[in-house]
Amino acid sequence: MSGASTTTTATEHSDGPLKRFLTRPEAPALIFLAALVVVLSVVADGFLGASNFEGILSQVVVIGIIALAVNQVVLSGEIDISTGSMLGLCAMASGTVAVAGGGLLFTLLAGVAVGALAGAVNGFLVTVARIPAIIVTLGMLYALRGVLLLVTGGTWVTGVPAEARVLGIGSVFGVSLPIIVLFALFIVMELVNRHSDWGRNVLAVGGNRRAAMLAGLPSRRVRFWAFVLVGAAVGIASVIYIGRAGSVQTNAGTGLELQVIAAVVIGGTSIAGGRGSTLAALTGAVLIGVILNGMVLLGIPGVWQDAVLGALILLAVSTDVLRRKLLGDKA
Amino acid sequence: MSQYTETSRGFLSRIKFSRELVLLGVLIVIVIAMSLLSPVFLTLGNLLNTSRYFVEIGLISLGMTLIIITAGIDLSVGSNMALVSVVVGFSFLGGVPLPLAIVLGVVAGLAAGVFNGLFVTMLDLHPLVVTLGTFAMFRGLAYGFSDADAVSSFPAWFAYFGQAYFGPIPGQLIVFVIAVAVVWLILSRTRFGRYVYAIGHNEEAARFSGVPVERVKLAIYAGTGLLVGLASVIYISRVSTARGDAGLGLELDVIAAVVLGGASIYGGKGTIAGTVLGVLIIATLRNGLLLAGVPSTWQLFLLGVLLLVAVFLNEFFRKEEG
Amino acid sequence: MSIEGKGETMLKTLRMTLAVFLALAVAGCGAGVGEAPDEGGGEGEQGGSGEGGANSICMMPKLVGIPYFNAAEEGANEAAEELGVDLTYDGPTEALAAEQVRRIEQFTQQQCDAISVAANDPDALAPAMTQAGEAGTATSAWDADVAEDSREVFVNQATFEAIGQTLVDIMAEQTGGEGEFLVVTGSLTAPNQNSWIEEMEAHMEAEYPDMSIAEILPGEEDLQLGIDVTTDYLRANPDTAGVFGITTVALPGAAEAVQQLGREGEVAVTGLSTPNEMRPYVESGTVEEFALWNPVDLGYLAVHVANAQVEGNLPDSGTFEAGRLGEVEMLAEDEVLLGPPDVYSSENIDDFDF
Repeated sequence: MSGASTTTTATEHSDGPLKRFLTRPEAPALIFLAALVVVLSVVADGFLGASNFEGILSQVVVIGIIALAVNQVVLSGEIDISTGSMLGLCAMASGTVAVAGGGLLFTLLAGVAVGALAGAVNGFLVTVARIPAIIVTLGMLYALRGVLLLVTGGTWVTGVPAEARVLGIGSVFGVSLPIIVLFALFIVMELVNRHSDWGRNVLAVGGNRRAAMLAGLPSRRVRFWAFVLVGAAVGIASVIYIGRAGSVQTNAGTGLELQVIAAVVIGGTSIAGGRGSTLAALTGAVLIGVILNGMVLLGIPGVWQDAVLGALILLAVSTDVLRRKLLGDKA
Repeated sequence: MSQYTETSRGFLSRIKFSRELVLLGVLIVIVIAMSLLSPVFLTLGNLLNTSRYFVEIGLISLGMTLIIITAGIDLSVGSNMALVSVVVGFSFLGGVPLPLAIVLGVVAGLAAGVFNGLFVTMLDLHPLVVTLGTFAMFRGLAYGFSDADAVSSFPAWFAYFGQAYFGPIPGQLIVFVIAVAVVWLILSRTRFGRYVYAIGHNEEAARFSGVPVERVKLAIYAGTGLLVGLASVIYISRVSTARGDAGLGLELDVIAAVVLGGASIYGGKGTIAGTVLGVLIIATLRNGLLLAGVPSTWQLFLLGVLLLVAVFLNEFFRKEEG
Repeated sequence: MSIEGKGETMLKTLRMTLAVFLALAVAGCGAGVGEAPDEGGGEGEQGGSGEGGANSICMMPKLVGIPYFNAAEEGANEAAEELGVDLTYDGPTEALAAEQVRRIEQFTQQQCDAISVAANDPDALAPAMTQAGEAGTATSAWDADVAEDSREVFVNQATFEAIGQTLVDIMAEQTGGEGEFLVVTGSLTAPNQNSWIEEMEAHMEAEYPDMSIAEILPGEEDLQLGIDVTTDYLRANPDTAGVFGITTVALPGAAEAVQQLGREGEVAVTGLSTPNEMRPYVESGTVEEFALWNPVDLGYLAVHVANAQVEGNLPDSGTFEAGRLGEVEMLAEDEVLLGPPDVYSSENIDDFDF
């Protein structure tokens, strides 16, 4: 992975590979992840093993896919905390189509369409109506859950047929399909960030919006599409969700938005925008999966989960600040 | 700088005046609409009873107003409420005398506020991220300490905080009125209040002109924590139960009330009078919708939309003010 | 930055007008909804039983928006129509005791003749229920009780003993009465679930000494979490003979996990859930039998009991005549029992739609 998606200064060229790695945004998270894996392998029975690793990965696929997209929003200097309710709504839409016999294609289309629409509403309110993203997506977190309850009247979707569940429980050459989807989307996002105008603009806009605008970058359009992308990603994730669960309840996705944000910032993408990487979002998601799995294996009650998650977010953003200060001093 | 003098003179004060008049108008319209929908709505008994519900939100909104004026935000207030609730309940269960447990709870609320404030000021982190983190952490601590269990074996006198009446007037309403007066005085009549606005207008400029920015911010977050502590004690007493799910979703009501009241999320603007009106409008809507038999599912949706409309209007108005 | 001028003032007025409009639209939206007839709700004319007026019954589930309580609402509406009473059925969108307190107090304000609640917390609701009782409202609880001295009657769906025994009997039949079992529950502190587990253990000890509960795991009413904990546990303990899922969410989660592991038939699965939720697993054979009381009947009975309270003809003992349910048992002077839980299997599951 080269530094195409980082904005750290050009001084890194002269440094050795180790130093270059250390200045990458996801480096602390990767090191922490490696250390945690070593510790858990020693301490926790049943942690080491292919089936447990596969289990961890497939449990973070939904968070990971959404985190890859929210990562773009955060890179562009915005935030999206509506993804939990959005997932519920998308899963309800794709689940309904699946049960009606829509097959995988239409199931996927339904989820992505509903998600993209919700994302477009977010994007419109943020970039055109100029309401701060935190307020927009906080309002939408409640409004979308309300829409979900109103539309369904509280009915659950059950009995999703097997052909629409392939993305959730299928496997190819012994590798579970959701994990393949996650990594495929990771590669797509990495390519987008390296080779497309939009991908580069996201970083520029997030790094310094005024400068980007003066340079003639379409700041609003860039951010708008980032929000739409989140919606589309939630749509894809919803098909994996219904595939794994086989049914959808009205509380689906509750609290998910927090895990997604946690994944992004723990991975090393700066909440201030402009600095981060695709790999950071993925690393963050896996790290959360490992931590949650470790908590179960070590017998730490689930009630502490939020406390651990919150502390980790704070830890991650604080180290980000400290590192910025250190790097700033050097430069 | 020309903007600064202009806003502090006639122009802004007239806008403020009319914005609050608009809010008052909205409130009156809602009250009329609701009383047409439900005959019970416009009775003294109901109105006074309703007041018991907005006191908790109202108290916290006072602190939130100051935070938002400084261009900050606190998403953790609902979780902090749960934390206070659990500290009071479980220290009492563990043998601490109840009066001391209440003090401990309020101190916990204050400490949580200080915690937020320290992260915001010392690390210079955006309050949004800090309080998103503590939003999860405080709630998690509340669930963890309580093991998701509830305490409700409080002695009868504890009901006094949330269930007492003076004549027909609920006790907590009096607490709220006093708190409103105090915070209003601080914000509009003291140097501290001027600092708060100055930070919101332009933090760097404020710092250069000698405003102790860090200390002011720390005090605001701490003060909000203290108000959460107070609100939580009233809440525990009102429902006579302490548990980790207290205040779930509370931040939405509080933020909605403050921005509806005219505070700008970008900082520099907002008044206590506006916030109180915002609190009243939301409380009236909630109570009226319930009495009118509007299904609860609609209320969730309407509240989310109301928040968006309110912020949109605020920023829409503000364009012309520069 | 701006200069005050005539155009400016006009613009301002325009914007103010727009603001009022939008605010009205929000309020009006609510009003429009209020006028739309909510099934069985008698909005507008509520309050005050009055001479000759229909009794008004205000009934509250733990939360709205889930099939179980929708089914109860269906039964409640049926009974309300039969008895000619005004029924309001509403509750919070999340299972929060504080939100319930608020609604009880507002039910009292609008002078419902009877209030019946499914409590999220027995003690938190007690003061509000006591207050309602003092105001002359007939008070009762259904599905989940409030503190005994704060209500007049509890409509019990099934005794803890009956639930525990039924589940263990179903499991014993499928596993030959031996083996170690996993229980997936709601949360570790859920009172109903813990009482059922106690009764299950007692029944195993008495009737099936070779059966034992090896582990109790919480699924926190989250389907995906239920699937994950069951999967993790069964991977680590492949000899497990069966899984009990004792909430409407835990059971489909457990069944899904067993199915995904491809261990249908080797690991028996039973518990409590709704027929609609379990239909796919019964059809695929992962679950042979499971149990639940009928929530439609429970809602139906709760309205009958509330109405009898208002009319003053609820008996102290013996049996109580409840419409199409016939005679139901008075367990005590303040407790009505719906009856034994129903057992569902591939033979009868299609007769139920909830």
